[in-house]
Amino acid sequence: MSPKSAPILEASGVVKRFGGFHALDGLNFHVAPGEILGLVGPNGSGKTTAINVISGLYAPDGGRVSFRGQSVGGMASHRLVHLGINRTFQVPKPFLSLTVRQNIEVALAYGRAASAPPAMASLLDAFHLSEVADRPARDLNNVQQKTLDLVRALSTGPQLLLLDELAAGLNPTELDWIAGRIKALAQAGMAIVVVEHLMGFIEQITDRVIVMNAGKEIFEGTLAVAVTVPQVVEVFLGGEHAA
Amino acid sequence: MPSALRHLLFIVAPLLAVFAILPSVYENHLMLFNFVVFLILAQGVNVIYGFTGYLPFGYVGFFGGGAYGFAVMVMHLHASAPVAVVVAGLAGVALGLLLSPLLRLSGAYFAIANLAAALAVLHFVANPALETITRGPYGVSLTATFNPNAAYAAALVVLALTMGAVVFLKNSRFGLALQSVREDPVSAAMAGVSVVRMRVIAWLASALIAGLAGGVYAWYVSVFFPDNVFSGTFSIFAIVFALFGGVATIVGPIVGVLLLYGVYNLIGFTTPQYFQLIYGLLIMGLVLFLPAGLVSLATRRGWHVP
Amino acid sequence: MLVYALVAGLLFGLYFSLVGIGLNLVFGVMRIVNLAHGDFLMLGAFIAVGVSALAGFDPLFAVPLAFVVFVLVGLVLYYLLVPRLQGSVDPEMLSIILFFGLSQVIEALTTIAFGTSERSIDSGELGKILAGLRVHVFGGDADGPVELLGQSFPTSWVISAAVSVVAILLVYVYLYRTRLGTLTRAVMSRREEAFATGINVDRVSAVAFGIGLGLAAIAGVFAPFMFGSVTPAFGEDATVTSFAIVVLGSLGNPLGTALGGVVYGISYMVVQTYLSSWADLLPYVLLILILLLRPSGLLGRRVRVA
Repeated sequence: MSPKSAPILEASGVVKRFGGFHALDGLNFHVAPGEILGLVGPNGSGKTTAINVISGLYAPDGGRVSFRGQSVGGMASHRLVHLGINRTFQVPKPFLSLTVRQNIEVALAYGRAASAPPAMASLLDAFHLSEVADRPARDLNNVQQKTLDLVRALSTGPQLLLLDELAAGLNPTELDWIAGRIKALAQAGMAIVVVEHLMGFIEQITDRVIVMNAGKEIFEGTLAVAVTVPQVVEVFLGGEHAA
Repeated sequence: MPSALRHLLFIVAPLLAVFAILPSVYENHLMLFNFVVFLILAQGVNVIYGFTGYLPFGYVGFFGGGAYGFAVMVMHLHASAPVAVVVAGLAGVALGLLLSPLLRLSGAYFAIANLAAALAVLHFVANPALETITRGPYGVSLTATFNPNAAYAAALVVLALTMGAVVFLKNSRFGLALQSVREDPVSAAMAGVSVVRMRVIAWLASALIAGLAGGVYAWYVSVFFPDNVFSGTFSIFAIVFALFGGVATIVGPIVGVLLLYGVYNLIGFTTPQYFQLIYGLLIMGLVLFLPAGLVSLATRRGWHVP
Repeated sequence: MLVYALVAGLLFGLYFSLVGIGLNLVFGVMRIVNLAHGDFLMLGAFIAVGVSALAGFDPLFAVPLAFVVFVLVGLVLYYLLVPRLQGSVDPEMLSIILFFGLSQVIEALTTIAFGTSERSIDSGELGKILAGLRVHVFGGDADGPVELLGQSFPTSWVISAAVSVVAILLVYVYLYRTRLGTLTRAVMSRREEAFATGINVDRVSAVAFGIGLGLAAIAGVFAPFMFGSVTPAFGEDATVTSFAIVVLGSLGNPLGTALGGVVYGISYMVVQTYLSSWADLLPYVLLILILLLRPSGLLGRRVRVA
């Protein structure tokens, strides 16, 4: 792990409006290769919007998003994927009527991974999808669909991976397993941003967290320090308390 | 044997062979020709609806556009029929390009806009003000190229190309990527697929298919009016045939055309309103009880349908 | 000439609002494209013909009759078709095909029952019970046209427009002043959440579906006067025109349809007056332009793009 290396992604002053509502109101943060950054905050604080802007679902209304020194704000999603950014979705979005294998095949074929992506068989094996490889994705349970979302993202060989509530709905065994997977990816040099409500999970895997409120960051540092900052505790009151 | 080759050998080749031989043993050539045309159109619908999810409710616009592309080439430029058929295909593509902004719309909005577009093309072509170019509402007569046998052969060539395209989509990563766009455009983009480019390519391919079909149709019938070649029946039949068999497969649309158009020819001509009634009820039953088509009877049992 | 075109456009526009509003109510509440909408207009017209020609009554009596009959028909059809459709993978798209099938059934049954000949009603029949009142208000004689702004217009146009205004006002009262109407608006804006909050979505939808068909049938009563005559095949054109009006106003916002109808009616009459050979193109071109430039319609908020 090399958290001190130069950031791969930098967001500065990013603004995203929906009508009169400022979902992002000048958000700043960065993440470095090999680092796992947690993005936490109450509901509606702009975590998922931040991921959507970085992955090209929304074009930012202001500020700058740069990836490996290149300005990428407003670029089409598939081009960002080709540059090395990928993500999972809070509600998994596999190609329901295609088989698991076909789901992965599309990403392997069109992802234009910079380095050779892992082989289909090893992906299926590593993420416990071999048994269901030839079943349509709609037959999978929620956890398997989430895993498939992750495998699709990995098939494109990302250097930056954005995980939107990957852990929600997993049982403790699955949580440990997926935490190990994520850490292994970071150790291999991938930059990872994790949006999560489960503070235990955040504590277990992240190097650093950004606490968000009302579309901007109000704290940056380790989770252990975050829970001692009155402002952070205040925005979480009535919401989830740090575990 | 690769599955694409298997599909060509065991589905496409026999189909073409049967329709190449039938004219010599069955005298109703017009009916056979119409079968071929509907096979082409149903597969054209399959390309755009089956693989991308856009319902082309005005698909006949490309067909009629192709027919008139053929007519204009023959009437004004005295082109030979094969050249005019190629131009008919290009007319379909040009129209497809013109209408490609419609792909920004989704669901019912696309279907309705496409229907309106087809009607707009009809009223444009049929406008008396354009009589010098299209003969307006008075129809065209293309005696110079009249040759039903050659036109029938050309239709088989177009069918072969169309079937080839569908076999390619069914067996290629390109076809898989198209289906991923249909299933979920956002996730498809996250798999690295250029969603817009994929849709436009499929749209233009299906426009090309219908344009070519319109061209060979014009060649075969040689006398027609705007209302004939822009008849909504072409769109509807093609869509229903494709759906009835099952889209996103190679055999579904073929089964749909052979069965339903067969039924149409058995009872349709003598008592059209009874056919319309049966046909309407069949469509309703299909949507309510078998929305994924006949092939879903097999796929539900876990059988693979090419 | 312009004054005539504008006033005639307004009269037609108000009528067109009524033509489209039922279609929009159904789409707004159920996200279902009722492609048989025009056929219910056609059936309304046949009720008017029956009331007038067979019974000898003023066709105005057909208005309440058509409404009641088709609200009931709508309730029955709703429970037969819609819940099953909503359970399918892609209800919005499949609804287009399902209701196309229904339109075929209606057209076929009507043809079997009444033949394909054109039906019309002498325009003096409409509003004959009001003739005395009319002479009192507008002057002139009981059979003559109505004078508005120095131009004369057929009495039937004025009556159709007036009934349309009343019907649309009643829709407004229903949606904004009754409990069921409030629930209807709730379902329109947030269908999923309406389910979650325990609203009986099926009941609300069934009533909206019934009212939608009832309104179409009322509009149909006046169709013989506004369009000259009707045949069983009239439904198809009426559906496309309704779509143009509805999309113009904003799909999913029934009251937007009132505006859409008026804009459509006036532009139709103006084009007809000054550029008559291109008037047929208008609804389609208008529909496509609106969908592309402002897919939410003139009054819409939500933009629906792929």
